[in-house]
Amino acid sequence: MKRFVLAALLASAVPAIAADYTIIAPANPGGGWDQTARTMQAVLQEEGISDSVQVQNVPGAGGTIGLSQFASQNKGNPNALIVGGYVMVGAILTNHSPVSLADVTPIARLTGEYEAIVVPAASEIETIDQLVEKLKADPGSVSWAGGSAGGTDHIGAGLIAKAAGVDPTKINYIAYSGGGEALAAILGNQVTAGISSLGEFEAQVEAGSLRLLAVSSPERIEGVDAPTLIESGLDVNLQNWRMVAAGPDLTAEQKAAVTADIETLVKSEGWQKQLADKGWTDTYLSGDAFDAQLAEDTAATEAILKDIGLVK
Amino acid sequence: MSASRHEGERRPDWAALLVAAFLVVVGGVMLWDSARLADLGGYSGIGPGTIPRVVGVGLLLLAVWTAFAAWRGDFPEREPQQIAPVVWIVAGLAGQMLLLHVAGFSLATAILFAFTARAFGKRNLAVNLAVGIIFAFLVWVVFSQLLMLHLPAGPLERLFFPGA
Amino acid sequence: MGSIDFLMQGLAAASDPMLLLYALIGVTLGTAVGVLPGIGPALTVALLLPVTYRLDPAGSLIMFAGIYYGGMYGGSTTSILLNTPGESASIITALEGNKMARRGRGGPALATAAIGSFVAGLIATLLLAFLAPYVVQLALKMGPRENFALMVLAFVTVSAALGDSALRGLTSLFLGLALACIGIDQLTGQARLSFGVPELLDGVEVTTLAVAMFAIGEALAIAAKGPGPADEVTAVKGSVWMSRSDWARSWKPWLRGTFLGFPIGAMPAGGAEIGTFLSYATEKKLSKHPEEFGNGAIEGVAGPEAANNASAAGTLVPLLTLGLPTSATAAIMLAGFQQFGLQPGPLLFATNPTLVWSLIASLLIANFMLLVLNLPLIGLWVKLLTVPKPWLYAGILLFATLGTIGANPSVFELGMLLAFGVIGYLMRIFGYPIAPIVVGLILGPLAEQQLRRALSISQGDPMTLLQSPIAAVMLTIAALALIVPLVLRLRGRGEVLRQMGGDED
Repeated sequence: MKRFVLAALLASAVPAIAADYTIIAPANPGGGWDQTARTMQAVLQEEGISDSVQVQNVPGAGGTIGLSQFASQNKGNPNALIVGGYVMVGAILTNHSPVSLADVTPIARLTGEYEAIVVPAASEIETIDQLVEKLKADPGSVSWAGGSAGGTDHIGAGLIAKAAGVDPTKINYIAYSGGGEALAAILGNQVTAGISSLGEFEAQVEAGSLRLLAVSSPERIEGVDAPTLIESGLDVNLQNWRMVAAGPDLTAEQKAAVTADIETLVKSEGWQKQLADKGWTDTYLSGDAFDAQLAEDTAATEAILKDIGLVK
Repeated sequence: MSASRHEGERRPDWAALLVAAFLVVVGGVMLWDSARLADLGGYSGIGPGTIPRVVGVGLLLLAVWTAFAAWRGDFPEREPQQIAPVVWIVAGLAGQMLLLHVAGFSLATAILFAFTARAFGKRNLAVNLAVGIIFAFLVWVVFSQLLMLHLPAGPLERLFFPGA
Repeated sequence: MGSIDFLMQGLAAASDPMLLLYALIGVTLGTAVGVLPGIGPALTVALLLPVTYRLDPAGSLIMFAGIYYGGMYGGSTTSILLNTPGESASIITALEGNKMARRGRGGPALATAAIGSFVAGLIATLLLAFLAPYVVQLALKMGPRENFALMVLAFVTVSAALGDSALRGLTSLFLGLALACIGIDQLTGQARLSFGVPELLDGVEVTTLAVAMFAIGEALAIAAKGPGPADEVTAVKGSVWMSRSDWARSWKPWLRGTFLGFPIGAMPAGGAEIGTFLSYATEKKLSKHPEEFGNGAIEGVAGPEAANNASAAGTLVPLLTLGLPTSATAAIMLAGFQQFGLQPGPLLFATNPTLVWSLIASLLIANFMLLVLNLPLIGLWVKLLTVPKPWLYAGILLFATLGTIGANPSVFELGMLLAFGVIGYLMRIFGYPIAPIVVGLILGPLAEQQLRRALSISQGDPMTLLQSPIAAVMLTIAALALIVPLVLRLRGRGEVLRQMGGDED
């Protein structure tokens, strides 16, 4: 009761209005998808694109639990959105999820981050070539710290091994639950190398406690002093992207309306400011171009997960 | 529950033997499941199945120990249990679980509230339900509308907050 | 001393009445949501973060700090009064705190928790302000093998502290370890013990198990005893306030808890709960009244609560100095900081001192507001226990399920809550301790992952565990803690220990 009174006093500060959009973040609070959903929530409201936006976390199994629940509950519903990303593509495969991204209506790719390969500053490895030499000589002696098994980082390490002619099942990949713990292991000189999103490492690279060997972008990134994997002779182009999708069975008009709202969001100043604050790269892509990219990524991911031995 | 332990002499405790059987089942399931897992130990030599196997064997050993203790009647004396209140509470929890997405938070939770109060001796279910509905609805308003917790809405919630 | 000048400036700016009001509102909101069993500080902060967006930067920063501390503290109130820990870090608080509350000493228990949290928060925030760069260097020395040794130590201290019967304690612990195996194996992505059920792929939530075992299991057990005066709870006996002897017995545990919790919070793999385990074991060892442990020893509340809050400040060390979020809560805080244009990282203290120091000033003020809010409320909270049993337990179950529904409104999750609640009830009938099963679920996966990582890095050589001096020392302590009581038991023919195990709940 006491709490009710206190909360009622605050009623004026926190208005309760109808939700125009419900965004499902298929992960626990704190992760990239949750932050994407909550940033969308803030900007959609601030920019007046939507009166009220609710975010709901449906965590579990690389987003596949949220995805299957979303797909079954929102047939033809143009007011429900789900955030997802590249990791979901792999999780759908490794978890044998009955629902895939083909069962919802992908709207657009929003942001993306390229992978970076680093070593501790105290390491004797100076260049990506030296790392690859060590990997070729004895794959077990190179321990890689990165995110969860079968995720973007693991796939990245597998792709590098494959491109260098090393058996991808032989990589000594050490999975950590989040970027933070992996970063600590690299900084503490516990592992040979680290692979994760560039943003995770950037501050440490600037401070000189990590050495950046290479990035996974197709071309050099402005302001980043490191070669791409491709120019180092390793044919790896990998982007950890995040997307937004709507429910299944939307009419063409409904899909167009949602796509227009998202486009307004992406073009808004508020969104661009949030991206700058958070260090996310705008890799907005929608329509047929996005669908084609999605199909291509799915096929490539399935191939490498088979090579690593995580999918049969 | 067994009442045979009141004479002070030690006899087999059949209910506790059931506990041992339960542990055998859990340990067995763990061993069975871990046998199915691929051996992906990699460089550590410890695969995904290793620890479940160790825990499964541990549970089987504990089952033997439990059976031995139960046979000698080493378990502490148990108080007599009343079954009816337990059934009321379990039914309340089950009712809330099944009705949550149909009837909404307030009505489903009112069932849990009313049945629990019934289990603790408030026999008038109609009054319990009424109190439960009002209380659960107030809680819903505070937490979902003011504190932004996502709680399922049903007919009652939509009556007062059409957008929920 | 530039730092002190900055801190004073921050404090002066933050003592504006409007800002103090925002801090109070933040603490109130944080406590209101954080008090729900099953909703930990991470979700609390995530839910309430948007509220802060509406204010100017100074106001939102201070309200944010308030929400954080409120969410951290909220769990202990329900732990103590209703035996329903809100998150894993307040499980230990429930052990002694609830026993105190049942004997009419709920007031002192809440007071020692509140003041202990304040003292710990104060010291730990100051340590954060002045020692962060040095502490983080030590924390980084903790690799997988050192962390594994720490987990082994935590296992040994906890099981030594919690079990009266070795058989039942171990069984409870192993059931927890079995539950811990459910879900996707972190290191290989293989699904274990999930039988094709997608909801099981992420394993069993610690909060679900804790809420079910404590709140629902307890309600069932008490209902099954039937009406009768046998187990009447005394709401208030003696003063609501702490007596002179309560103070005398609390202050050392507060300090010890702070100095245990802070470094463990700063470690990349140490959760807040591990500090509470170690603090409880320490207090039990050092107490002049070891016989009171298990029956409501105030040290068992004071120490772990201080450790819990100190480790919350500890997690800010890697977060601010390295930009390293080591827990879900820290990850949300990182998102919050970015909202204020504060980019945590190695250069933060150098490039943006004003913002850092106003954050630290905000934390200090929020910590103080928490005390201001909670001390007067203790009298009211304790009155909760005078609510007639039917309404009280109906309310407890309502709030217990509310937390689970709010975190994840899934029928499956509620089904698990019910199933674990029934198991918790059966365990109580047979005299199995509840805490080890929860401890097994928390520590099991941590220990397994750290061991496998350590062995992976050494390419399968187990000697790596002893080659690190830190790990070797911790493993030796753990071995001694295990062997010495065994030797004593054999020499004393177990008489003393058996007597002590007489009155298990």
